[in-house]
Amino acid sequence: MLETRQLSAAYGSTAVLSDVSIRFPKGRLTAVVGPNGCGKSSLLKAIMGFLPLTGGDVLLDGEPVAGISRKKLARRIAYLPQECFCPDYMTLGELIELAGYARYSLGGGPTERDRALYRQVLETVGLSDRAGFPVNKLSGGQRQRAWIAMVLAQDTDVVLMDEPVNHLDMKYQFAVLELVRDLVETHGKTVITVLHDLNLTTAFADEVVLLRAGTCIKAGPVAETITSRAIEDVFGLKTQIFPRDGRLVCFPERTGSAGAS
Amino acid sequence: MMERRGLFLSLSGLLLALVLPLHLFFGFSPASLPGLALSLVHFEVNSYEDAVLLFQRLPRSVIAVYAGSIAAASGFVLQSLVRNPLASPATLGVNSGAALFLVAAALLLDADAAVQGLAALAGAITGFLACLAVARFAGRRNDPRGLSLILSGALVSMLFTGMTNALLLSDPARRADFLSWVTGNINHVYIDRLAMFWWIGAAAVLVLLLLARPLTLILFGEDKAASAGVNVPLVSRAAITAAVLGTGSAVAVCGPIGFVGLVIPHIVRPFAGNNLVHALPASLLCGASACLLADLLAREAFQPFVINTGLVTDLVGGIVFIVIVKRFYLSAGSREAA
Repeated sequence: MLETRQLSAAYGSTAVLSDVSIRFPKGRLTAVVGPNGCGKSSLLKAIMGFLPLTGGDVLLDGEPVAGISRKKLARRIAYLPQECFCPDYMTLGELIELAGYARYSLGGGPTERDRALYRQVLETVGLSDRAGFPVNKLSGGQRQRAWIAMVLAQDTDVVLMDEPVNHLDMKYQFAVLELVRDLVETHGKTVITVLHDLNLTTAFADEVVLLRAGTCIKAGPVAETITSRAIEDVFGLKTQIFPRDGRLVCFPERTGSAGAS
Repeated sequence: MMERRGLFLSLSGLLLALVLPLHLFFGFSPASLPGLALSLVHFEVNSYEDAVLLFQRLPRSVIAVYAGSIAAASGFVLQSLVRNPLASPATLGVNSGAALFLVAAALLLDADAAVQGLAALAGAITGFLACLAVARFAGRRNDPRGLSLILSGALVSMLFTGMTNALLLSDPARRADFLSWVTGNINHVYIDRLAMFWWIGAAAVLVLLLLARPLTLILFGEDKAASAGVNVPLVSRAAITAAVLGTGSAVAVCGPIGFVGLVIPHIVRPFAGNNLVHALPASLLCGASACLLADLLAREAFQPFVINTGLVTDLVGGIVFIVIVKRFYLSAGSREAA
């Protein structure tokens, strides 16, 4: 299990996370939600060790992540950054093959088992026929699925995703999140993803972490955590929340004035 | 696509297999070729022509292959790591640093060839670090497209080349020994230097080939690479050190052969891709072929004169340099680096 204990982190002298203690249950999909600049991306980066910690610990099955080598960590946690950049002249097949780097020996390449996994991964994201295609020539939705395929090809138990459905239209938002949901349900992976949309959160996540200004306001199962009060507390917006077809629907109210606080 | 990558690598190999004998045998009378080939196989000298082949042509070929392949591989790696399409050993101060230190060691300290080689390695590192330092001073962080790095490299190269020229001018008695070398001269007499330094280039190429995958991952950004298991600081430093020292050793042998390291990666990339697992071997092969062709041109095109190989690569490379600048920096909607 992955957990943070009294985690604090800073960019230079600006604190971005203070005293965050969260346990991410195994085999569940946890959404990290909060307003812009509240530290959602920073939380994932701090877990990965890309931000200098000013206090606290990140523990993976009880072991501090800071003490695990990059290569060993890459076999246990995969990370999808918010903005992915692919160099030109790189095919999807090459992208997927690079993802398994942590499993290869020095100067060595993928085994037959790895190659079987890569074929299966491409099938999962529905891009089997695109292996020889340059990544930068895929459509937006295909490219986002390609990045998810890269994360899957890393074959880890824990997957961190920073806004995987950003820049996608509604159809692809659902398609990508169905895919992520499938990772949890059929592959038993632990997924922690930053999401912007509360309704996507209630539709797909098991657990939710509400962040505001670098602190964790509330965390727990979606049904218990997402309440009108909690959402007003975090976003400063009055929101009706009601059940519909077995999940919660969030309906923010208009404030009626452009300069509302 | 993968088949295309394999095909390009085979074609690169085929090109080298054609260019190498051309470089070795061009100019001999067709009738003498069978005998020459035989003497090459048995390494026996039975005629004047055999001697020319074995003691002039062959060393020249070997040096050209060494200098060209290392320059191209180093250039590809440097372009990847500093994310700049204009990066190369020649444009980042590496060549001029190595040249200055070698000439200084020879003229000021009366160093022998081995110490001159060490000086060239130290100079290669110094030139690169000087280039980075000037770029940082000029505010490289605010310059995402990295032009300041290339301008710093040009500045450092001018400064170092000026100092090298001053040293040469101050010593009329011995400057003739180096005048030709500083413009990049593939000459059979330098084979002794190659015998001394070849292992440095071989080790550098080995390191780069072993690091091909993590280096490619670094192209995706430091965080993505680290999350995939790459120790980014370690891999970057090891690769830059290998590229710079490898180039330094080539400069120590035959002087600075410019532009092969800049141009070849741009020719290789569209076919072999940006994945160094495929692109590095292709760069090695194509760099060797390019240097052999440049040397052949230098040797045969202006008969009865033999000009310096460095002049040919500078001439051709300078033109390609302008094309790259236009494509990456001056055209509307220009592409991102590397």
